[in-house]
Parts: sequence; C-alpha cells; structure tokens
Amino acid sequence: MVDDLLRTKGLSLRYPSGTLALDELTVDVPRGSVGLVGANGAGKTTLLRLALGQLRPTAGTIEVVGRAVADDPIGVRAHIGFMPEHDCLPSDQTAADVVATLGELAGLPPRAARQRASEVLDLVGLDEARFRPIGGFSTGMRQRTKLAQAIVADPEVVLLDEPTAGLDPIGREEMLALVGRLADFGISALVATHLLDDVQRVCDQVVMIDGGKLRHAGATQALLHRTGALRVEVNDGAGRLADLLGVAGVAVTVVDDSTLDVRVDGDGGHVLDLVRDGADDLGLALHALTTRRTSLDELFLDQPQ
Amino acid sequence: MTAQLLPRAGAVYDRGYRPYEGERGGRGAARAALVRVSIRRALGLRRSWRQKVLPWSLLAIATIPAVVNVGVKYITRNTPATNFDLITFRGYVGVSTTLLLFVAITAPDMVCPDRRNRVLPLIFARPLTGNDYVLAKVGALTAILFGFGFLPQVVLFVGQMFVVQGGALDFVRENSEVLWQVPVAVALFSLYWASLAVAISATTTRRVVGGVALLATVFVSGTVASMLVSAGGAGPGIFEGGSLWGLLSASDIPLGMSDLVFLGHVDPVSLVGGAQGAGIGVVMVYVAVVAGSLGYLAYRYRGVQ
Repeated sequence: MVDDLLRTKGLSLRYPSGTLALDELTVDVPRGSVGLVGANGAGKTTLLRLALGQLRPTAGTIEVVGRAVADDPIGVRAHIGFMPEHDCLPSDQTAADVVATLGELAGLPPRAARQRASEVLDLVGLDEARFRPIGGFSTGMRQRTKLAQAIVADPEVVLLDEPTAGLDPIGREEMLALVGRLADFGISALVATHLLDDVQRVCDQVVMIDGGKLRHAGATQALLHRTGALRVEVNDGAGRLADLLGVAGVAVTVVDDSTLDVRVDGDGGHVLDLVRDGADDLGLALHALTTRRTSLDELFLDQPQ
Repeated sequence: MTAQLLPRAGAVYDRGYRPYEGERGGRGAARAALVRVSIRRALGLRRSWRQKVLPWSLLAIATIPAVVNVGVKYITRNTPATNFDLITFRGYVGVSTTLLLFVAITAPDMVCPDRRNRVLPLIFARPLTGNDYVLAKVGALTAILFGFGFLPQVVLFVGQMFVVQGGALDFVRENSEVLWQVPVAVALFSLYWASLAVAISATTTRRVVGGVALLATVFVSGTVASMLVSAGGAGPGIFEGGSLWGLLSASDIPLGMSDLVFLGHVDPVSLVGGAQGAGIGVVMVYVAVVAGSLGYLAYRYRGVQ
C-alpha cells in the first residue's frame, strides 16, 4: 500500500502572537499533484512549514509520505524538496554551484550532487546557463533554479510555494509544464497557490483551506463535476422557468431573458427532468441544454464565510 | 553509384529524469556537508582566483617567520648564537593574531549572505537544525584557523628538527612538551576567534558591517583595557604589572590562554600579567566569551529548528 502524500488529524497551530493559523485541519491527500489553495493568510505556508517539521503543531498530528513528522521532524526533510515563494538564491554564485551545494546538504555525496545538479538543471532548461552567476538570471530562470534545487536529491515529495509567482505568461506556462511533469518523475507535488487556474491545470487533487479551516478536499475533476451547473437556453421566458424551478427547490441563476444557469448536484438526472417538464409546461422552446463546469474560483467564492 | 549511410556528426538525446539510486546520508552527512561547503567557500575553492588570493597569501605570510627562524638556526648552528630563537612556539601563537584580518573577512562571508539572500529557508528544508548550522559554521572557521595557525608551527618544528646541531632526535626529546602544547593552544585560539567572529557577524546581514564590527570590538576593547590598566597605576600594557582590567581586552584573552598552556601562568608582560587571579580570570572570560557567542548564535538561529 502506498502511503498518502499528506495526512493530518486535528492539526492546529496557534502562533505566539495569538493568531490561529490552522484550526483542526483533518485531511488525507493521496500521492500525485496536489493543489493547496486558499487566499493569502489562509494557512498554506504554515501547513508547508509544519510538513517540513519547522513548526510544531499546537494540537493534532501530521504525516508526510507515511512518516509522522513529530517522530522525526529533522529526518523527514530528507524525503522532501522545498521551493519557497520568495527569492532565496545567492546572486554571486552559479546555478550549478547552488544546486550542487544544496544537494550535498540533502545528504548526497559531493560528486553525486554535482552530477545530479547538472541533470536537473538540464531538465528545467538551464543547461547552458548553469555556469552563470544567478545575479544575471531573469525571474523565470530563478524560479526554475529554485525548482531544480528542490528536486536535486530526488525527493518523494516537493512542496512548492507559489511556483508561478512573479512570472510573465510565458514563464508561467513553462513552470506549470515542469510542475505537471513531476508526477512522471515519480515525485509527488504539493503546490500551494492562490491562483486556482494553476491548480485546475496541473493538479489532480485539490485541498482548499480558508482561515485555517478545510473547505474542500478531493479529486479536482470530481469537485468540478459535483459542483457543475447546467446552462439552459430557451426563447424569452427564462424568468418564468426560473420561478417554476425555484418552487421545485432547484437553485437557479437567471443570466438574461433567454438564459439561466441551473445548479446541479449529484448526477443531475432529476434536475434535467424538471427542466424538460418545466419548459414543456410553460410552452417554452428548449434551445440548448449544456453542462457548464464551475471553475475552482467559483467553487472557492461560493463557500460560506 | 551505391548509396552509403554516413555516420551522423551528432545527435540530441532527451535523457529525461533519472531517479537517484546512489548513496544518501542523513543528518550527519548534511552537517559534514555544511562544514565542507563553508570551508570551501572560505578558502576560495571552486571560486575565482580573486577569492583565493587572501586566504592563501595570509597562510604564506603567517609561515614566513617560521621559515626565517629555520634559516637563522641553520646559519648559526655551529656558532655561539646557536640557541638564539627569532620566535618561540608560544610566541608563534601570538603571530596568528595577524589572521585577524582574515577572520574579519571570512566570518561575515560565512553567515551574512545566507541571511541577506534568504537562503536559510532552503538550508533548513534539509535535515539540519539551527544548532547544526551554528556548529558547522563555527566548526568550519575553527578548522581553518587551526590549519593556518598550526601549519606554520609544523614548519617551525620540523625545520628546526633537521637543522639544529644536536640532531633531530635530541631536538624532539628536548621539545616533546611542544607536541601537545602547540595543538592545544592553537585550538583554543581558533575556537575563541571563530566563536566571537561568527557571533558578531550574525548580528548583521552586511558583510562589511560584520567585519568592521569585529575589528572595532578588538581595538576598542583593547584600548579601553589599556587605559583602565594605566589608570590603575600599572604600565600601559607592555610592562610588567597589569591588572584585571586587562580582561576586557578581547585580543588578550586567547593569548592569556596560550600562556597558561605553555607556562602554566599568564605572562607577566601582558595587560593582566601579575594581577591576582589573572589565570582564573582569563579562563573565566574565555569560557564566557565562547559560551556566550555560541549561546547567542543558538538563539539567533532558534526560529529555524
């Protein structure tokens, strides 16, 4: 049996200042590409630091790839790669030196660290630039260097904190493509971000937290399907159909005179029947009936505060 | 005409990602790597020639007195001046104070860039703690200073061994105590300066500030101690009859320890020489400085446990 990427039970952390960063978070996250989403201050970085054993929880437990962090908070880091959000690279050193050095600090022998550094820098597209000082790197190259140092020791899991922060559209595409490839390398990724579109594109699992509490957790596609909407187009009379469906207890949003979105939970068969019968009862011509998947943004904003 | 397949000049291979299956160390390996990396950086290894000039020039300069002394011994070996010593083993420990400039440059370079460039989160995402970091940095600088202080002593000892009139074995027999006194004195000297210099450097993120702060500490404390000793009726420091005010001089403490190792008491020709309880005072201040420096460093890096 393969251990989960992350497993928490009643995990809470209150900072000495009194701020409750995480509030009884209980979640099981399988291996793969996992998006950890939430607004700024939601507790994403705190959760990453707890996973790295850099913070001790006020209550509850946390396991990373099957290892209880509390049992060996230092040793667990040997299995984890970490890419911080902020700029964290020495500008006077070459990418090859920095990545090799951090490989050595992860426990690789010096020769192996240099070899691995060369390979992973090649992999992230910095093959020719690796002997140049990082001070001359663009933001995109710095981000790729940060990703390279995170995977240089071939970890079981990488924690990526806002990997596309500050990147231009092309750089963002390149970074997302690299993150998407990590699973092919056998490396699970926990991607902390507030950019839901990034998660929707590269993560097959999503954990959504807000104010330190769990909002959603599950397969990305399942979440989108479960919260999908039905777009209904009729000839003028969308308002009347909306009223009729409302009476039947169906959540409806009128877009314009001829269009409405109908909220669908579960398989939606019952709602489809209601729409069909309602349009027939009102004598409306049903022009279109299409499934419209909700974006993660909408799912996140739809949650009660 | 027969077509012939010619070998291609080159080919492009996408080797993809290769998992690392080699040797992998734990926390001990990470600690050793941090020491190794710090020593490499301080000595300018794998860096441009500019970074190599200072450390290796200083080592050469520190060795000159030993070479000169051996030369003098060789020239005077059959003369009445055969017992003349340009410099003694105990005095040579004091010559190592010339390494203070090296310490003032190297110690800030070991710790300031890590904090200034925010590299610490990357380092502590490896199986390392704040205490590991402190011990590795102080250990690396201690090792370098020991090497730079001990190697000239080896030149002095071995050189004299082969040029003295009585022969090598007699020289070793007559100077057997030096074989433990020199390494102990140099080790105490190195630990003192490494602890103090790294602690002072850790107060700032700017290398130049760290270096100037160390030199200022040495010169200001020495000047103040001299003034207080003079005001107390003793000589200005170079005359016999100092006082315990001399314990305030940062640079006199390791020399006092060296005196204790070689002579069993503090040299009367020093700021504290001749004062009641000078030996105990020197030991107490030495321990306080080293322990205080290490304690401050542990506190400074406590947040990254």
